[in-house]
Amino acid sequence: MISRREERMLREREPKFEDTLLSLIATGRQPKGIIREARKIIAIARKFNDEVARPASLVIDRKGLEDHRYLPWEYVKKANEYKLYTLFLPKMFGGQGYSPACSCYFMEELAATCLGMSNIVGAHYLGLTILLSTWNMKIAARICREVVEGEKSGSPCILTLAMTEPNAGTDSQNVEFMDKGGLGCHARRVDGGYVINGNKIFITMGHVSTWHIVQAYTALDKASETMVTFAVKTGQKGFSFGKQEKKMGQKGSVASELIFDECFIPDDQVCLDTEQAASLRRNIKETNEQLFAYIWSASRAGVGALGVGAARGAFETALDFASNHTIDGERMINHGWCQSMLAEMYKNVAAGRSLYSEANFANGMYGLLKLMNFKSIYYTNRFIPKAILLKLFSWICEKKAATWLFRLIYLDFQEDAEIDRVDGWGSMAKFAGSDAGAANCRMALELMGQAGVRHDRRAEKMMRDAKLLQIYEGTNQINRLNLFKRLVARSYEDVHTFSSSTR
Amino acid sequence: MMMALDNKELTLLHKTSREFARKELAPGREENDKHPFGPFFQHTLDQAFALDFFHITLPKELGGVGHGIEELCVVMGNICEEDSSLGGILFTHLLSQEILLRADEENRLKQVAADAKNAADFLIATSAMANPSEGWELPVAKKEGNSYHLTGSIDYVVTGGVARHALIPATIHSETGFSYFWTDLTQQRIDKSDPVLSHGLNACPAVDIRFNHAGAALIGEAQRGEEYFRKAFTPMQLVAAAMASGIMRGSFNEALAYCRDRKQGGRKLKEWSLMQMMLSELSIRLHVSEMLLSRACEAITQGEKGAESAVQAAAFHILSSATELTSDGIQAMGGVGYMKDFGQEKRFRDAGQVQALLGIFPMKKIRFFREFIDSGIKTRNP
Ligand SMILES: Cc1cc2nc3c(=O)[nH]c(=O)nc-3n(C[C@H](O)[C@H](O)[C@H](O)COP(=O)(O)OP(=O)(O)OC[C@H]3O[C@@H](n4cnc5c(N)ncnc54)[C@H](O)[C@@H]3O)c2cc1C
Repeated sequence: MISRREERMLREREPKFEDTLLSLIATGRQPKGIIREARKIIAIARKFNDEVARPASLVIDRKGLEDHRYLPWEYVKKANEYKLYTLFLPKMFGGQGYSPACSCYFMEELAATCLGMSNIVGAHYLGLTILLSTWNMKIAARICREVVEGEKSGSPCILTLAMTEPNAGTDSQNVEFMDKGGLGCHARRVDGGYVINGNKIFITMGHVSTWHIVQAYTALDKASETMVTFAVKTGQKGFSFGKQEKKMGQKGSVASELIFDECFIPDDQVCLDTEQAASLRRNIKETNEQLFAYIWSASRAGVGALGVGAARGAFETALDFASNHTIDGERMINHGWCQSMLAEMYKNVAAGRSLYSEANFANGMYGLLKLMNFKSIYYTNRFIPKAILLKLFSWICEKKAATWLFRLIYLDFQEDAEIDRVDGWGSMAKFAGSDAGAANCRMALELMGQAGVRHDRRAEKMMRDAKLLQIYEGTNQINRLNLFKRLVARSYEDVHTFSSSTR
Repeated sequence: MMMALDNKELTLLHKTSREFARKELAPGREENDKHPFGPFFQHTLDQAFALDFFHITLPKELGGVGHGIEELCVVMGNICEEDSSLGGILFTHLLSQEILLRADEENRLKQVAADAKNAADFLIATSAMANPSEGWELPVAKKEGNSYHLTGSIDYVVTGGVARHALIPATIHSETGFSYFWTDLTQQRIDKSDPVLSHGLNACPAVDIRFNHAGAALIGEAQRGEEYFRKAFTPMQLVAAAMASGIMRGSFNEALAYCRDRKQGGRKLKEWSLMQMMLSELSIRLHVSEMLLSRACEAITQGEKGAESAVQAAAFHILSSATELTSDGIQAMGGVGYMKDFGQEKRFRDAGQVQALLGIFPMKKIRFFREFIDSGIKTRNP
């Protein structure tokens, strides 16, 4: 009826089968154990919510509103006590080894209770994401070890991602814009390392983190080709914290300025630079673009999950109000208009969740989680005792060959179509989830009237918190452009995205 | 500003209120917004009192300026463009005034106006964020001799912590519906909470109040509270829309100024067609809102047939539009739009709060249908 060639040709026509039905493709490929892990992860998040986040969420928010310099140390430590910073670290790095594929579900749960607090954990994994995306195994192993030690000692060791600068927000995140003159964080090559000068702003959890994965550039007018990714440790000479931003919401996390003044960073803290990237298949600009795609595809799926969490929190808050409030002699929940509004909110949650799950599946098959999702590696990580894995892997990571091998697998073997797929879906999950969050919060406020605008009834806080999700990790506007670039534009000739030819 | 400023008085009022807003409100906006964690802007409030903003629509024979809704909307718009907290305080007072007038309580108003030496003396607190008949807990009023006593709680009495008097909706013991009561908030038998931390209009604080057999006077007639509220509703919805419209103007102006200045991708933001589209959408919302507002004022002033439903419809549109516009007003500025160093995040919160004035937003629409569409009252709708 239909030849194999014909089938393939038709299947690869836009929209491509591989780009659209990710959950279907993942069925059977993904280790079944992930389902059991997801159940457990959700339970862990709910326990943390019940015991820590819910009782503290309004308290922290109030403190942050009262004084924007408030630092949530107490809760950074609480999350450490609950071992949340090592949950998704592979056992080979000394972590608990839960599948990172479950991290989105975990973030949704936390966000449904308190977006601000979910960021305490979320920003740490964002930092880990960029660190791992460079596949510098030696540095990754060292920092992960410190995270694990921090958990044991009770002094949390968490990470940040530091890209944004005063004159380069969007520009710092897209190679196409990096050379336009806004970036100012300069890296100078010196004997044994680099010297960094410049500022980063809006860095989530900066003041309370130990490691900062920072990007600087050896030639500011050619930043896309000279980007260097560093691991900078709090306390290093020439590195200090500046102001804390006066944010509208997400008071559970701080947004910090990082200041680099003749800050020397030795070679063993250089995660990726042009020298290291020279041997890779792609040229340096393409590699940097690929690095961004790795980061964003994972982290934007995570922000999508946070958005869905916000949408859920708003839905649950509104539902609770509607079931307890009476209008015209009838509980609101028995009014048709109200049921319809709540159903819309429920749909927003479900639709957002489907999208971030698809993005998650894309990452599991073609992106950052690929290796961990191979059944053999997954079950090795699960069933071989941590001590053995850790010992073996620590030794391997010290070898240059480990970095070479991981970069070969992750960077060189990744196809362009796979980069498009994961990055496009990451953007979609991000803007859809965060828009769902903002929409549901607005509906909750409308539905709750004067109760909605009171801090002690939570809905208004959720609205303030959720708004931020539409901005960070690339504004939703930029993410729409990125979706177009990755999944649409390629089918047409002479289509310009993110370029000076775009109007 | 769309209003046809075709009379001298209106033009003057526009100038005065705009100047006041820019000089007195704008510089202190961030600081004032810290309330209840920072001081209350009593001084600014007293300045507004001295400029007769609180007397603006009070009839001349009662000691007021006697302006109409159009003038009020101009002033409200200008004030809220810079800081809608003061707008919220004015709104609350004017709502109380409107209800008192509907209840034929002119003498009481006249007395308060005559006695008032400062804003606090004059302000009349009330539950401006609620339609009292929408299921909120209300205190119970009991008649004892010739007077009433209030017992029980009411949430979110706007300006209850700063005003001398309040208009409190309460149910009369063993009767249905609600009635309004006049009460002196300085009396001992009233417990007020700390200012309720709220989404927006931070310097327009509300308190929860508990009455312990507190003295109160019935306003108008018993059980006619809902009727008075309904009568005050249409003009006050329009005032809320004027507030929203002012907030929108502020948000649009700040977004535009930022996009003219900030560069990303080697260009001014305003040069990217994506941003042009966004700014255009903001501008369209603003224009439509200002036009609706202007037309609605005209319809009310001239007592046009069907004006009430048209005015309410316009107000719904503007109030919703403001929440959308202020969200994009942040978005256009990226991360800094989310920070308190700029005015956008406050406008976003304020727009949400203003939308909730006078009751649960979807319920207002349901009542709109019942009152105008289904009742056979002639509306502007086909
Ligand atoms: C609270 C907070 C926490 C954050 N945390 C972190 C963090 O931990 N680490 C980090 O590195 N960064 C962080 N960020 C930064 C965040 O990712 C940026 O704010 C975001 O990417 C937008 O950049 P910007 O704020 O500079 O806005 P801009 O880039 O200046 O954008 C302003 C507006 O212009 C539009 N625009 C920009 N460029 C273009 C273009 N080329 N074409 C069309 N439209 C364009 C945008 O969509 C937006 O609407 C955080 C931000 C906030 C507010």
